[in-house]
This record gives sequence, structure tokens and C-alpha cells, in this order.
Amino acid sequence: MSQDKKGGLKRRDFLKIIGVAGGTAAVTGACSPPVEQIIPYVIPPEGIIPGLPNYYSSTCRECPAGCGIVVKNREGRAIKVEGNTKSPINSGATCARGQASLQGLYNPDRIKSPLLKNDDGRMKPLGWESIEKSLSEKIVKARSGDKSGNIVFLTNNISGTLSTLIEDWMGVLGGAHIQYETFAYEPLKEANKISFGIEKIPTYNIEKTDYLLSFGADFLETWLSPVEYTADFSAMHSVKDKSVGKFVYIDPRASLTGTNADQWVSIKPGTEGVLALGIANVIVNEGLSSNSAGGLQGLLSNYSPDKVSSITDVPKEVITQIAKEFAGADSSLAIGGGVASSGTNATQTLVAINILNYVAGNIGDTIDFGDTLSISDVNSFQDMSSLIDSMNSGDIDLILIHGVNPVFTLPKSMKFKEALEKVDTIVSFSSFMDETTELSDLVLPDNTFLESWGDYSPRTSVKGLTQPIMAPVFNTKSTGDVLLSISGQVEELNGRYVQTTYYDYLRDAWKDILPSGDFDKEWNKALEDGGFYEEPTKVAVSLSSAAMGISFPDAEFKGEGEYYFMAYPSYRYYDGRGANKPWLQELPEAITTGVWDSWVEVHPDTAKKLGIKLGDFVTIESPNGTIDTQAYVYEGIRPDTLAVMIGQGHTAYGRYAKDRGVNPLDLLPVTTDQLSGGFAWLTTKVNASRTGKHAQFVQTQYTTTQHDRVIAETVALSELQKGIHHEEHHEADFYPPREYHTYRWGMAIDLQKCVGCGSCVTACYAENNIAFVGKDMVAKRRDMAWIRIERYFEKTDDAKGFRTMYFPMLCQQCGNAPCEPVCPVFATYHNPEGLNGMVYNRCVGTRYCANNCTYKVRKFNWFTYKWPEPLDWQLNPDVTVRSKGVMEKCTFCVQRINYAKDLAKDDSRDVGDGEFKVACEQACPAEAIVFGNLEDHESNASKLSHDDRGYRALEFVNTQPAITYLKKVVRDKA
Amino acid sequence: MKDNQGVLGIFSYVDVTVETVKKLKRAGFQKLRVFSPVPNHEIEDVMDEPESIVRFFTLFGAMLGAACGVGFTVLTSSDWPISVSAKPIVSLPPFIVIIFELTILMGALSTLLGLLINSRLRRNAPSSMYDPRFSEDKFGVMVTCDKESINEVENILSSQGAEEIKFDEV
Amino acid sequence: MSEQSTLTYARVNEDVIRMLDKPTVKWLALFIPTLGFVGFGLFCFIHQVYTGLGVAGYRHPVFWGVYITDFVFWVGIAHSGTLISAILFLFRANFRMSIYRIAEGMTVFAVLTAGLFPIIHLGRPWNFYWLFPYPNQRELWVNFKSPLLWDVFAVSTYLTVSSLFFFVGLIPDIAAVRDRVTEAPRKFVYSVLSLGWKGSNWEWLHYTRAYLFFAAFATPLVLSVHSVVSWDFAMSNLPGWHTTIFAPYFVAGAIFSGLGMVITLTVPIRKIFHLEEYITLDNYDGMAKLIILTSLIVGYAYGVEFFLAWYSGSPYEWGQFYYRATGEYAIFYWIMVVCNVVIPIPLWFKAVRRNIKVLFIISIFINIGMWFERFNIIVISLSQGFDPAAWGIYMPSWVEIGITVGSFAWFFMFFLIFIKTLPAVSIAEMKEILPVPNKGIKGDHAG
Repeated sequence: MSQDKKGGLKRRDFLKIIGVAGGTAAVTGACSPPVEQIIPYVIPPEGIIPGLPNYYSSTCRECPAGCGIVVKNREGRAIKVEGNTKSPINSGATCARGQASLQGLYNPDRIKSPLLKNDDGRMKPLGWESIEKSLSEKIVKARSGDKSGNIVFLTNNISGTLSTLIEDWMGVLGGAHIQYETFAYEPLKEANKISFGIEKIPTYNIEKTDYLLSFGADFLETWLSPVEYTADFSAMHSVKDKSVGKFVYIDPRASLTGTNADQWVSIKPGTEGVLALGIANVIVNEGLSSNSAGGLQGLLSNYSPDKVSSITDVPKEVITQIAKEFAGADSSLAIGGGVASSGTNATQTLVAINILNYVAGNIGDTIDFGDTLSISDVNSFQDMSSLIDSMNSGDIDLILIHGVNPVFTLPKSMKFKEALEKVDTIVSFSSFMDETTELSDLVLPDNTFLESWGDYSPRTSVKGLTQPIMAPVFNTKSTGDVLLSISGQVEELNGRYVQTTYYDYLRDAWKDILPSGDFDKEWNKALEDGGFYEEPTKVAVSLSSAAMGISFPDAEFKGEGEYYFMAYPSYRYYDGRGANKPWLQELPEAITTGVWDSWVEVHPDTAKKLGIKLGDFVTIESPNGTIDTQAYVYEGIRPDTLAVMIGQGHTAYGRYAKDRGVNPLDLLPVTTDQLSGGFAWLTTKVNASRTGKHAQFVQTQYTTTQHDRVIAETVALSELQKGIHHEEHHEADFYPPREYHTYRWGMAIDLQKCVGCGSCVTACYAENNIAFVGKDMVAKRRDMAWIRIERYFEKTDDAKGFRTMYFPMLCQQCGNAPCEPVCPVFATYHNPEGLNGMVYNRCVGTRYCANNCTYKVRKFNWFTYKWPEPLDWQLNPDVTVRSKGVMEKCTFCVQRINYAKDLAKDDSRDVGDGEFKVACEQACPAEAIVFGNLEDHESNASKLSHDDRGYRALEFVNTQPAITYLKKVVRDKA
Repeated sequence: MKDNQGVLGIFSYVDVTVETVKKLKRAGFQKLRVFSPVPNHEIEDVMDEPESIVRFFTLFGAMLGAACGVGFTVLTSSDWPISVSAKPIVSLPPFIVIIFELTILMGALSTLLGLLINSRLRRNAPSSMYDPRFSEDKFGVMVTCDKESINEVENILSSQGAEEIKFDEV
Repeated sequence: MSEQSTLTYARVNEDVIRMLDKPTVKWLALFIPTLGFVGFGLFCFIHQVYTGLGVAGYRHPVFWGVYITDFVFWVGIAHSGTLISAILFLFRANFRMSIYRIAEGMTVFAVLTAGLFPIIHLGRPWNFYWLFPYPNQRELWVNFKSPLLWDVFAVSTYLTVSSLFFFVGLIPDIAAVRDRVTEAPRKFVYSVLSLGWKGSNWEWLHYTRAYLFFAAFATPLVLSVHSVVSWDFAMSNLPGWHTTIFAPYFVAGAIFSGLGMVITLTVPIRKIFHLEEYITLDNYDGMAKLIILTSLIVGYAYGVEFFLAWYSGSPYEWGQFYYRATGEYAIFYWIMVVCNVVIPIPLWFKAVRRNIKVLFIISIFINIGMWFERFNIIVISLSQGFDPAAWGIYMPSWVEIGITVGSFAWFFMFFLIFIKTLPAVSIAEMKEILPVPNKGIKGDHAG
């Protein structure tokens, strides 16, 4: 296509150059950074100026949420993922998993070329020509006479062109395309079908509410669209003209989401529905219902507070309190359907929650069916079980697997592995040697989404595009291209597709999506914007009578054990796909601050009963299996419940994931939700016993409280509304105060907004070339994180519950920095813009600066840390890679400051507010971090630094930090 | 053949040595030198040499050291002003320590210098007019005189009961 | 000097110089293993430089540990040497005469040992010279505001001055050795070292004067050096470090530990070389009294630290000291208290002060106690600073222990060489306290 020469082709030429260069780099030793060998260009490709970054928009595929991303490319290397501000989903932010997608791209354990399993069962590398040939042969063979000719194409949720291609392809071959997602939220669909007649998952306008009630929906972690909902939550929960939205979390366990709630209601597993109806009942009885709740009285009347309280273990007064607040709020919302707490009655529970919303008049206001999620359209769990049956019965001759790892993500008890082994030919398109790919006969490694063309539509209004940020790191090929090229070798398909490359196929497909007119203009715009976004159309719904008809049974539990067993999705590993990324492994889990492992959360009373303490190994036994893992004693879980996170316990999937932690799915029975047929997660009761084995529980923070110190401060809502009396005290200093001109860089961090998700931490690792050090080193407290999320549990004033504080701690860039005067060689000093500069080359490593650092944010290079090739391709060329014996620390992304200043200098002006963002600020979904110039009194950071809630950490030491913290608002203080 | 002669008398007792020196002085011999294994006040008194000038070396050295201390700290800090912890580039309180140490260092060094120069510790090998026993338990009185008075000196020494008398040219 | 002494000038030379006879098997049996340990220490250091400081037990937030402990410990040891030779000289305390040479040697060797540790503990030891102010093409000088740089100056000055002091004191004695030895090579070496000392009245005149000035310089120096060392900590803002009592507290501690070490060293030497007539019970009695005094000061400091931490009402200060006495490191804390405050108490009794064996044992405990004092101040303070989220426990690794052992060996190596090559007891000054040999003509001057 001639038009191509304008846009895409040029860059693809360039990418080819890089590809070659990359190849040469790959074979050279890890000691020499490949970057040196990519430049110089003989003929510089257009739009590439060495030293200047290029940004490409794309769509994140680490989870079904489909956030828009912008990836920074330097000299042909993708080096940083950032949120796409144009995307209506994540509007500029990312989660830790999105940041870490780079370590999927550069993962040293990626499949480096096509593989074919020999007769001796060993995988042997092959060229694309021959592997495609043998695949087409397999297809032909599978369809030849004696075979049943059943072919199955198993993929993840790939709504978009690839899905169309596969559907079409399989249509011709007469096989089935199954889209499987580990967390498919089927009860949500079913419940909506029952309540509103729409079998879809809507979008929830959390930001519009001022009272949020979540029945186990962990929307800050994995639920539907975590980044989006974190932003929304932060909007509704932050301080707006002295009022703060309230969030109540109802779940057997206080997850990361739960610890951010103003009130955590510990409820008996499986009784959420009853509570929802109980609350609705109170609302109706108290006459607080906005609508007459027509026809519901009958149903609700069975749920008197006393009865509900006895069933759910939730005190009566709490039920009425919530009911009153919920109905009383201007705009309230109840959500549910969290994976972890979904039991056999999950659908009924959600119907109950819908009823509650209906009674409070929230339908259509804060729940929007105009914009439904594409995850609604994936195949059901039933389809998977029937797939297993037909595999067992030998009906399947050929299975093609793309983007899923069911051997790991389905409970062992489903025996998917055994069934899969009965299939003649297993073809995997996985980029990694995961548990499923290990079994396959042909491996045609797909590009990661950062290397390939494609699209994904996470919801009706959003059509996201993915485009290659760089040439494939290894000898991989995008599945779309494979399908097209082998279609030439299968007669039925031969000549069906005019396009030779998937890129062309995609473009043609998008001709129907993009508005008519100059297609290339539209296309390039779509590429720039990262996709095509429409205004969702509002769809009004009303509660259907079906909802009133259904009965609300109790949840059923398998196993005779005395503890409910909760397997919860991890916000770091999702369903396990994140486990091979060192950044995510080393990102401290918010509640435990544990890293590189699994653990079971145990309530203190239970721990006492079992005679265990932190770090003791516990055996957990269910009818389906046993796991041994370390205990973490945690107040935020019911005494009758044990919780283990999903995602660890891989038996394959690369050096970082393999043989690490345990997989809770080993314990789960195959139980489904009665109405939706979706997999029910919280349905087993287990026994636990101490093994007597003990090991250090590897975490990054060994204290749980502040030890009567005030680092993370709070302010009572009442006090806030009264107006905080702010006394500006200026002690006389021995030396005169320092003067600044034009710039003093500073930051404001809102503790009310910070949810502790840690995406800032991972973003900092990515931006600043921070080394990951592994479990043994973290055990010695040698993690290198420049920004850490401190978490403190505190007794609330009523001393019944506890409160969790998340406190991002990074270099405070002190005005009177204690670290500076003690350095004998001026390796750290105060620069004229208020930064606490760190000169790595000058540092001799006396470490006095770290000793004298009030905030202990300096990290020391105990060794020279290595990035296994090609992980080191990700290193940011603008930041020094530190070697052994050198101190390092946060410098407010000084490289970004200088870049912005250079740009400003080019058109001789000063850097304006918000012109650039530092890495942590950029990533933060809650917008808790605001960076800016304190000398510019109009800048946000400067304004916030004078906020009523503003204070400085450990102010009395008189270090005069450049970071202002805004106190967290609490409700229980008088 | 030089006309200056050295006569050395060796004694075992301090008081005898002192007496001898007195006698010699009375007899008009001024070029005297006493050897002893220990510093001894009687001997010091009777010889009554001028006050040692080592103290001026010490004083000068110390003052020089102080000056260097001030100059060094102030000049090097101002050479490339690097601001740390909002402290002035030249802030004396911390510099005082350096100044103090340099004062002591150079004071001590120049004292050593003064000692070496003044006490004439030059030759490594002692002259023939030295007796190893001086470092043990003997005392020596050396008189430098012209040929004529050798006998007189010898008489005085022997009359004092010198255990041994040596002659040599100096 | 006790009256019944049978010593004469001649016998002093006799006895002292006899110590320099050919090394015995016993001596070699001590010396060779010592070299072995020095070698092991060296190996540990090379391993650390090559692999990275991570082979030590360091971890966030404890960035200083055993190495700095050793540094402060050895600087402390050095101090009583100068105290005995200089301060007691100015006070004309005769009991110093017999031991000051050993004490001074100890000073020099201890400083030589201490000086190693600031380099060993560096992250990039190959750049250690960046700490010295030398002209360089970067036109970059050092930061004189940093206590570490005060250290550089204080310690190097201290090393220079104490070595001078040591050497000048030796000159007349070396001359004495020169006059006695016969073998040509030895005679030559001693002749050179003696600078041709003859003991003439001029020499004595300037010598005594110069010696007085050295003493006068060494005295404030010794106080300043350990004050500066203490400011390495006191100048920081860390709870447990940031306190004004540190300078006197450290100086007292230094003298305390130094006296302990002097006793530990002299007791065996006295026995082996039969120096009972030189190093007398009176001498030990005098030192023991000083130990009591310094032990009291140190004990007082322990108490005051606690009181002020509590009285300050600051959770940070009080948290730190409460943790010292009750936390993971409590055992070390109480070892320190027992060794430095409780065990010296018997010294109040004359009988104990004059009982060499008991004295020796007590001195050993003092050495241990003072090492742990430094360990506690450094490590415990660091492990619980302001921010609870950054608390952590440090324990030394085999490398650190190896280097520490090596440092002791390094010290004893010098000491063993010293007693075989230089007069370990000052010949000239011993004679000063012996009766002056007078014939008794016209009234005896003796006395």
C-alpha cells in the first residue's frame, strides 16, 4: 500500500534496523549494553534523533481492563510504560502490572524461537517456515477422514479483529473458538440478566457516588477495571470542600481495597446477599426508599435486622447504620461480585445487591448499561468443562492455545492437564514456557503486545489499538500473521484472505470502525490516540419482576474443615501471569509487605489456637489437596477464614515464577455458582495445622504500628469541617534560611487519596534503573526501592476495629538535609533548585549520609547488581546504572526535570506547572502525588503545600522537607 | 696538628662530677661538656647553659599551623562553593576542629626540628671522646683547651679521682 | 619506687637490654600464628573488596557495624598510652615511668590498627584517597563540615604526634642499646636510630625541654581526638547518637579501655621478662585507681543517657534507650554494663588492686565491655531510628569477624616485634627515679 509509506512503513523499516541491531546485541555478553551497538545509524531513520525519546500509544493487555498506554521508546528500545491520558478508562495512570509489562517483553525466559516437540518429548527450535508448514499439516491431518476433525481454538478475551479472524478461520475449519478468562464475572452477568434483563457487565460510576458499599468487590486490585476504579474511588473519597465520601467494605477479609475503607464489616462468607436484603429492608421500613420499592416489601420483610444479624454475624446497629447512611447519601452505590468471595449463591447475592441499589434509587444513575464490558462476552465456565469432557472422550484432535494458561489457572481438581494430554496435537502461541505450553507439541511464540499490531475493545465505547513499540526481541511472530500465512497452506482457507500481513488485515477491519472520510487521517489519529473512543449512550434499566421471584439460598461449602478457605486474586500477579516479572515479585504486597512468595493470612485468635506466629509454616488441607505455606497473622480476616493469594506456585513459567510459593487453586473443588454456572471460588472448608517448620517471613517492613510516633498523620472529619487551626511556628535557626530562584521542586502527597497499590514503586523501578535483588537480599533488608509504601495498622478510637495507613516514603529533598553535611567528599549536596543531589561517581561509600537520613530513604549498592539479558535492554539511558559501593536515592526524576528544562530553554521560557510528571506521580491511579515548582505559587504542588491538612514528616527534626503530606481523614475521632 | 686539645675525665658519681666542673671553671676553663646517662639538675645548674630556644620553634610552628588551618579550610571551601544543608559556605565552627589539629601537628613537627638542630644530634657515630658507659652509669667531663694547659687539666681531673682520662685532638 | 629496690644504673641497662636478646621459641610460637591471623584478615578484606560490601552483615538501616566499632575501640585503646606518657608526665606521676614505654608503643600500634578501619568499611575503598584534600584536576576539595573529615585530620595528626613522642623518648635508650650490642648490623641500625646521642649536657638540656612540649601538645590532642571520634556520632541527628555528653563520655571510656589494655599487655611481659622490680605493684595500684575513676564516669554516662531519654519525653529518644535495654540486642547491652560498671567494683579494695591475677582478669573483661559499648552505641541506635518502617536487625558476618580478629593480630604483631627490638622499659627514665650515685663528699646530695 502506497499510503503506508507515509505512516507505518517508515517506522517498520526503522524497526527492522533495530531488530538486526537487537539481534547482534542479544548474542553479545551481558557486560556490554546493547544500546552502544544500536547507534550509530548509517542512514538515520526519519523521526529518530538519538537521545530524544519517541512515544507510541497502545493498549495494555496485562488484564482484560484494557487501559490505554503510551510507551517511551529510546533508540529503538521500549523503556517505559505510561498511562495514556486520552484513554477514557485509565486517563493517564497505570497499575504496577502495566508498568511491569516491559519485563514481559524483555523477559529472559521468553520462548526465543518456534519449537517442535520431538518423539523423545524434547522441544527443538525450528524456523518459522517449517513450523508453519507442520502446523498446516497437523490441521489437514486433523481434518482428514479417520479423524473427527474437531479443532478448538482456546484464547483469552480478545474482543476485536483477532477474534474476528479466528472466528472466521475456525468457521471455515468447522472448529470452535473458546474465549476463556480466569476471572469471568459470570455471576455479575447472570444477576444483571435476572434483575434487568441485560446479560452484561455495566460500568459503575463510582466517582459520582458519595457513599460506596462494596460487597467483596476488590475494585482497587483486580475487579473489572482496577486503575479506572482506583481513580474514581480517589475522586469520591478525597476531600472536596471539606466533605469526604464514605466507603464501606463488606467481606470476610479486609483486602487492599478493604483496608482503604472507612469501615470494614467482617461478614460470614456467603451471606452477603442476606445482608444486602437486610439493609434494603431497613431502608424500606424506615421509609427512606426513594421509590416505593414496589412489590419488594414481601421479599424484604423476611430479612429483619435480628435475623440478618444472626445469619451474617454483622451487628444489628451496623446494619441499620449502613442502611440509614446508604439511603441518606445524595448518591450511593452498592457493588459486588469480587472473585474471592463469590460462592455457590454468588448470582443471588448480586441480585440482592441490585435490589438494594434499586431500593436506594441508584440504577441508571451510578450504574451504566450504556457501556458494557467486553469481558461479558467470554465463554462460560460450562464451556470449559464441556471442553474438558470432549478432550477426555478424545473428540478433540487439535487444540490451539493463545494467551491463556488453563493448566495453571483452572483448579487441579478439574484435571484439565490430564484431559489436555489426551489431545493429539496441542499448539501453543504463548510467548512464555508456561504450564500449558510445556505440554504442547508445537509452539509458535507470539509477540508480546508491545511488539505487535492488534486491537482490543475492553468495552463498547472503547476500541483500543496496540501497535509495535519496537521490533520483536526474539524470533517471534504475531499470531495474526501466523494464521494468515498458514491459511495459504490449508486448501479450505486458501485465497480467503487478500491481506498478507495481519497489519493490513487490521487496517482493513478498522475501515468499518473508524468514521468514514479520509481513512489514513483517521487511522493515524487513532494510532496517536491509542484507539477510537465514542461517547457511551445511556441505557435506562429497571428492576425486572424476575428479580423478585428468585429465592436466596445459603451458600454451600464442601469439606469438613473448620475454616473457610479464600483464594483471592492478586493485584500483583492477577491470575498468575504477573509472576514471571521480577518487579512484581519484589513489589511488597500492601498489607503484609511480603515479597517473592505466598503466605496464608490468619487471624490472631486463630493463630493462637493453632499455636503459630508470623513465619511459621502451616499445612492447609482440603478434600482436593494440601498446601504448606507461611503464616501471616492479620487482624483483617475473620477467625474462621484463611486466605491465600492466587498467582504463585508455578511449576514452570520461567526462573522468576517457577517453584515459588503455593497455588491455592490446588485446594479448590469444582463448584459452580448455581444460577450462572460460573466457577465459585469460596466454596471449600479446610483444616489447618502447624508443621513446626519456621522461616523468616520475608517482608520489607517489620513493624506494624507507628510506636506512638507521628509519621502518617490523621485528622478527624469533624475537625476538618471545623477548620484546622494551623499554627505557623518558626524556630530561630542557627543559619539564615536558604534562598531559591525560579525553581524549588517540591511535592504534595495526599494520604487520603493514596490506596497503597504500589504502582508508583514499580514505575520508579522502571524509570530509575533500580535493581531488583531477589528474595535472599530482601530478607536482609537490601531491597533498593527509592519509594516505599509504609503501612501502619492502628487501633481505631472505639478500639474495636483497626485502621490501615498507607504512607509513601521517598527522599524528602530536605532544605536542611542531614545527609549533606556529613559526606566528606560532597557526593551529596543541595542544588540551587532545592534537590538533594546525589553524585554517584563521587561517592566513596562511607554511608554516613544514610545513617543520618531521618527518613532512611537512601539505598546502598552492596553488590554490583546485574540484569539478565535482555532485561537490561529496558534500562533508561538517561539514568546512571549504579555499581557496588555507591549510595543511591530518589532525586525527583532529575533526568525528567532537566529534559523539561531543556525543552523550555529551546523556546526561552520557564518550565510551566504540570508540563511534565515524575514517574511516581505519572503512574499513580489515585492522583495522590502532585509534583511541582514551589517557587511558582500558582502551581498545584505549591497550593497543596499550604493546604489545611498539610504537614511535613518528622517536622520537628527541622529538615525542612520539600514534600508536604496531606493528613488522612478519619471519621471515628471525636 | 691542631692546637686545640680535648681532655676527658670519667667519673662514677654525680657530686664528684659537679665538684670537678666547679674546679675547672674556677681554673678558668670555660669550654666544658658533661656526659651523663640521665638528665641531672646539679649538672644543669653547675653548667648553667642559656635557656633552650626550642620553645621558639614550638611557638612558631604552632602559629604557622593555626594560620594554615584557617587559610586551608576557608580557601578550599570558597574555591568551589558547594552548599550543604543550608550551611554557609564558610562556616567557622566546623573548621575549628581542623585548625586545632593542624596547630598541634605543625607545632609538634617544628619542636622536633628544634630539638634536632639545637642538640647537635648530627653525627651518627660518637667521637673517640665518648665512652659507651655514659649511656649506662658513668659520668664524663670533657675540657677543650690549648696544648699548654693539658697538664693542668689532667691534674685537676686526677685530683678529683677520675677513673680514667682520655686525650684527643678536636 | 619502693625503698627495698636493689636496682642500680648498670642493672637497669642489664635487665632492659636483655629483653632484646635473640627471639625464643616461645616468642616465635606467638608470632607465627599472629602472622597467620593477619593473613586471614587480609584475605577477608580482599574478598570484600572484590565481591562488594554485601559480604559484611550490613543492611538497611544499619549502615555502620563492626568495622566502625573496631575503629572506635582501637582509637580508644590508643588513648591511655598518651595519657600515661603525656598527662601523667605533666603531673609528674612516678608510677608511669616503668610502663609508659609499653603504653606508648601500644598507642602507636593501636592507632595504626584503628586507621585501617575507616578504609576497610568504605564502599569503594580504592577511592579512599578522595578523603584527603589534595589538588586535583576536578578542582574538587573535601567537605570540612563533615565529622568524617575531622576524623581524617585528628587521627592522622594523632598518629604523627604519638609516633614522634614515642620515638623521641626512645633516642637515649637506643643510644644505650647501641653502646651495648656488638654485632655489626644491629649496632649500625641502632646507631642510625640513636641519631648519635651522647648524653651530653646540651642534648639533655634541649631534650628535656622538647619532651615537655611534646607532652604539652599530646595532652590536648588526645582529648580532641576522641572528642572528634565521638562527634562522628554526636553530630548526627539519630536518637542515641545526637547527644552532648558524648565527648567526655568517649574520652573517659577511651582511657578506661586503654588502661585495661595496658594491664592486659604488661602483666604477661612482666612475668616473662621478670620485670617485677620495674613494673611494681604500686604501678598497678595507680592504674587501678584510674580505672575506678573512669569506670565511674562511664557508668554515670550510661545512667545519664537513660535519664535524659526518659526526661526528654521524646518517644524517639526513649524508644531507642528502652530498646537498648530490652530489645534484640539487650544481651550485648547488659554485657557492657556488667563488664564496665559491675566488674571493676572490687578494685575499690587495695588487696584487689595489688593482686596481679585478679587485675589481669578484670582488665580482660574491661576490654570486652568497652568493645560492646561501641557496638551498642553504633548498631542499636541505627537499627531503630526515627521511622519504624525502616527498622532492622544487623548481625556481623564471618568476613567482619575475620577482619576484626585480623586487626587484633595486626596489633599484636607490631607489639611482639616491638618488645624484641626496642627497649620496652625506658632506661633513662627508670634511672631518674633511682637514687643518684653520689660519693658523699661535703654532704650527701642523694635522695
